[in-house]
Amino acid sequence: MNELIQQIVDGLGRGGIYALIALGIAVIFGVMHLVNFAHGELITVSAYSAYGLFQAGWNWWFIVPAVILIAGMTSVVIEFLAFRWVRGAPDFTMLMTSFGIHFVVQALFVMYVSANFRQFPRPDWIFNTVKIAGISFEVFDIAVIFFTLLTLIGTFWILQKTMFGISLRAAAEDFDAARLMGVRSDRIIRGAFALSGVLAGVAAVFWLMRSGQAGPTAGLTPMLKGVLAALIGGLGSLGGAVLGGVALGLVEVMLISRLPEGLVGLTDGIVFLLIAFLFVFRPQGFISVRRAERV
Amino acid sequence: MLEVESLTTRYGSISALRDVGLSVGSGEVVCLIGPNGAGKTTLLSTISGLLNPVSGSVKFENEEITSWAPDRILRSGLALVPEHRRIFGDLTVDENLLVGGVTISSGRRLELKEEIITLFPVLGEKLSTEAGYLSGGEAQQLAIGRALMSEPKILLMDEPALGLAPVLAEVVFELINQLRQNGQTLLVVEQNARRILEVADRGYVMRSGSIVISGDSNELISRDDLFETYIGKTDTTHE
Amino acid sequence: MSKEYFHSRLFTLVGPILIFAVLVCGGLLYASFGGSARDGLITQMLINAIIVLGIQIYVGNTGVLSFGHIGFGAIAGYAFAICAISPTRKNSQIPDAPFGLSGIDLTPFQSVLVSILLTVIVAFIIGLGLARSGARSGSVAATVITLALLFVVHEVAKNWIDLTRGGKTGLSFSPLGNATLQGRGWIYIALLFAIITARLFKETRLGRLAQAAREDDLAARAVGIDPAVQQMISLLLSVTLVSIGASLRVFELGSINPRLFFFKFTLLTLTMLIVGGRNSVTGAVVGVVIITAGSEFTRYLAGPSVDVAALDWILRSGLTDIFLGASMLGFMIFKPAGLLGDWELDKWLKKFLPEKTNAEAVKDRVENNQERSHQSLNVEGVVVDFGGFRALDRAEIRAGTDEVVGLIGPNGAGKTTLLNVITGVVDCSEGYLKINGKSIEGLQPHMIARAGLVRTFQNLRLFHLLSVRENIEVARLASPDANNRLETVAIEELLHITGLDELRNRRAGELDYGNARRLELARAAAANPVFLLLDEPTSGMSDHESEAMIHQVRSVASLIGAGVVVIDHDLNFITGICDRVYVLDQGRLISTGSPEEISLDEKVRAAYLGSS
Repeated sequence: MNELIQQIVDGLGRGGIYALIALGIAVIFGVMHLVNFAHGELITVSAYSAYGLFQAGWNWWFIVPAVILIAGMTSVVIEFLAFRWVRGAPDFTMLMTSFGIHFVVQALFVMYVSANFRQFPRPDWIFNTVKIAGISFEVFDIAVIFFTLLTLIGTFWILQKTMFGISLRAAAEDFDAARLMGVRSDRIIRGAFALSGVLAGVAAVFWLMRSGQAGPTAGLTPMLKGVLAALIGGLGSLGGAVLGGVALGLVEVMLISRLPEGLVGLTDGIVFLLIAFLFVFRPQGFISVRRAERV
Repeated sequence: MLEVESLTTRYGSISALRDVGLSVGSGEVVCLIGPNGAGKTTLLSTISGLLNPVSGSVKFENEEITSWAPDRILRSGLALVPEHRRIFGDLTVDENLLVGGVTISSGRRLELKEEIITLFPVLGEKLSTEAGYLSGGEAQQLAIGRALMSEPKILLMDEPALGLAPVLAEVVFELINQLRQNGQTLLVVEQNARRILEVADRGYVMRSGSIVISGDSNELISRDDLFETYIGKTDTTHE
Repeated sequence: MSKEYFHSRLFTLVGPILIFAVLVCGGLLYASFGGSARDGLITQMLINAIIVLGIQIYVGNTGVLSFGHIGFGAIAGYAFAICAISPTRKNSQIPDAPFGLSGIDLTPFQSVLVSILLTVIVAFIIGLGLARSGARSGSVAATVITLALLFVVHEVAKNWIDLTRGGKTGLSFSPLGNATLQGRGWIYIALLFAIITARLFKETRLGRLAQAAREDDLAARAVGIDPAVQQMISLLLSVTLVSIGASLRVFELGSINPRLFFFKFTLLTLTMLIVGGRNSVTGAVVGVVIITAGSEFTRYLAGPSVDVAALDWILRSGLTDIFLGASMLGFMIFKPAGLLGDWELDKWLKKFLPEKTNAEAVKDRVENNQERSHQSLNVEGVVVDFGGFRALDRAEIRAGTDEVVGLIGPNGAGKTTLLNVITGVVDCSEGYLKINGKSIEGLQPHMIARAGLVRTFQNLRLFHLLSVRENIEVARLASPDANNRLETVAIEELLHITGLDELRNRRAGELDYGNARRLELARAAAANPVFLLLDEPTSGMSDHESEAMIHQVRSVASLIGAGVVVIDHDLNFITGICDRVYVLDQGRLISTGSPEEISLDEKVRAAYLGSS
């Protein structure tokens, strides 16, 4: 029983990170109908920023806000440089564009930093454990869950209560109708990218605290997990993205703790297979988003 | 107030406009009638910036607004209640109204929302309902209320009674009448020609992308050839 | 027909053979001026071409973006290596391989067959999943599934140490890891096979149906195409070529490790495909050449032999990756169709041949005077609710093959919804749909089309990249040849009736409005339906054009012996063409009768003009 609770907390910690990434992907999908495969690059950029700032002698307390800020700005810059040219293009073009960005950014890091992974120190408290009601938890998991919740609450507050958030949701549902109400498309898309970038930044901070390294492909796995989580949840559904992320994290932890020693390395493979099965039975994900096509 | 001159639009699947001209004066209620596919929706979409014309011009308060972005046109004081209402079904009624007022100051937005709720009491009762759950009549009131939230100088409506039962359609016509008494300038596209002509000052009849008849409502309503223009000649003798 | 068909197919071979010849001769020429490094480069390029052509078959014809093909390549590569590496080598590298695999000893040729078989089986399973996810051009779920496959295979290759020896060292054929493949003979054969297969597949019935579905999924279903079938076959054929290419790649390098078939190689092959033009086989090969040359050049620039201090910031390692990524990105933003679009060498050469005359072409036509026995369409009591809104309330319509039936009513009356119900696009909660007493409720749109109901679309849905003639041909190819139906429909006759004769080679996407409407009619007719269902065929036409349409619709209907149900708002047109008219208002049938009776009905007047 205790073990199960530990695992759930562990799973929520993992899932929280996925949820943040998935939410960022869902926000962009909503306004642009684009699955942003370049979303992982924000994490790569964050990783290198963290590494660079460490080199410059900063400590984690300053690095965290800086990384989040940088991720948000990078996201907006990427939109400005690349995505705005393919707004409204066929889905194939947009998918391929986001992949192109992924490759270019990755190559830039190889070219100007290094093809190898760079290590930086992880904050020492992340390995500490605390005992609550006789069960020991990793402080890190609890911190992740707490800050993820905080970020999610903040994000949903923005989406529910601010004019920007309401306009963004309106634009996600019917872009033209939103423009007819006076919503500025440039601003809303840029805002969506900024929001998505900040979410990726927060996720990156946790991801990096755990991995403690920066490399050109650092964003690949989190991106894939985030896309899958968004897809499991139902593309375009913000709540679904969070749900999908948490579910993915829980399943992973459950698998890791139950698989025999020799197969732990195949966890990701098994998770992908499970997801493939899920798609066969429910291709639209947990929450289906209505998008009427007039015939 | 609104001057459209020799407007020509080509657009993929919707019929084109050919050399269309019309004008709406301040405080006037003008209606645009004609058969399905005549280009009425295309005309409203072109005026409000969703489509770009091939040639011709749209002037609003003596300013050339042709090919402006929709949000800029809205900011200049021209709002559209689009065909099929297109309210945001995932947003609450309250949020729909707020989006309508995205261009005005937040204080004014709340004030105006209260005014709209007074005008449409049913919306006031359902402020926190998701708009997707509204009935057709309620949704139409929301669509109009939402458009009014931008305090438009002129309001364009595309088939506000579409898909409504006759009783509910009547509510919409009453509403148009009420807006007219409040001095709101209106340009309304409507299928129900007889009913809208009772409310409007003037009317234009479109067919095949052009305006074929125009005149005062009283004059139009009594014209015998209206039905024929509307759905084509039914004279079977010369077949 | 068969002889002519055979000749035109034979001419199609000219393209692939020429491309092959140019590619190989060019390669040899280039290699002859340099050392073994150039030789190796050319070998790699030719192998990459095989793989890229494999990807082209799937991505080009279906429009589904796949990142998984290199994953299939990894499966094939490992299967090949595990089969072909000698048992002694295997015993030293993977002694604990499961299923006694370390003991098997196959020739390279046998190993390729095994690798193809295994990959095709995996692809079949993945293909079922893709079909389930509703894969279509540009669909996101399908792309993510293929991407996940790439990752899964990579993970397995890295972690199933017993079988693959893990990620660090990989498997090799000889202790030194030397190249194993001697000479390029097999590569040439495989390449020629790949080019011909890819090029011919594009022209086969299956390939063309797949391209139609790529252009417009719904319209393809409406003429009876089931995209899932075409996608599956494209996928299987596609991975066959990829398997051959991957096996050659492994054999040529003499070793395999998980990185060999992962992201970098995916980037390389996809960039090659995108740059040349994914819809073109010629383009795929051109892309391979350009990207190989470009990569090589950037590698040279970044290498030690070029040393320009001022440009040091750009001329460094990683330049090749930037080149690849930027090419992909640049083409997507500025020229998404690639350099060649869907241009093919043989098609271009064909222009210089004397064109066959119409008289010859019309030989295709089959006698179509045979009377079709009378058939009937019965639609009764259809109820459809959208949310709380009742769009159709016990709507009904009946038609026979000997008549033209009109369906009119004001905007929002539910006409198109009724048509959507009949063609399976929208489900109804109540009601009967029968053709000759046989129920068609709940059938998929493509099954309904095959049952004999083919429609046009109010919002034109043509296959934009295909020519006018191809649009019509594809619909004919999709139609099943049931016994009680005409065997084929005369395409030339359809082109003639609809006045599209002169525009036959124009792309459908370039047509003006009226011609596009007429092509919709011709395409629907070519699917050889029992009933043609026309949704606003004259919408947007001038009065003159719509008057001509009366004759065109009638001629087309009598050519194929089909009944017609037509929605329109123009009473002129309706009066001119219909034998009977149904009037819908608010989802209900309010009147029915001859056009004359309808025009005098007060209820109809009220429905249109409104009552005061």
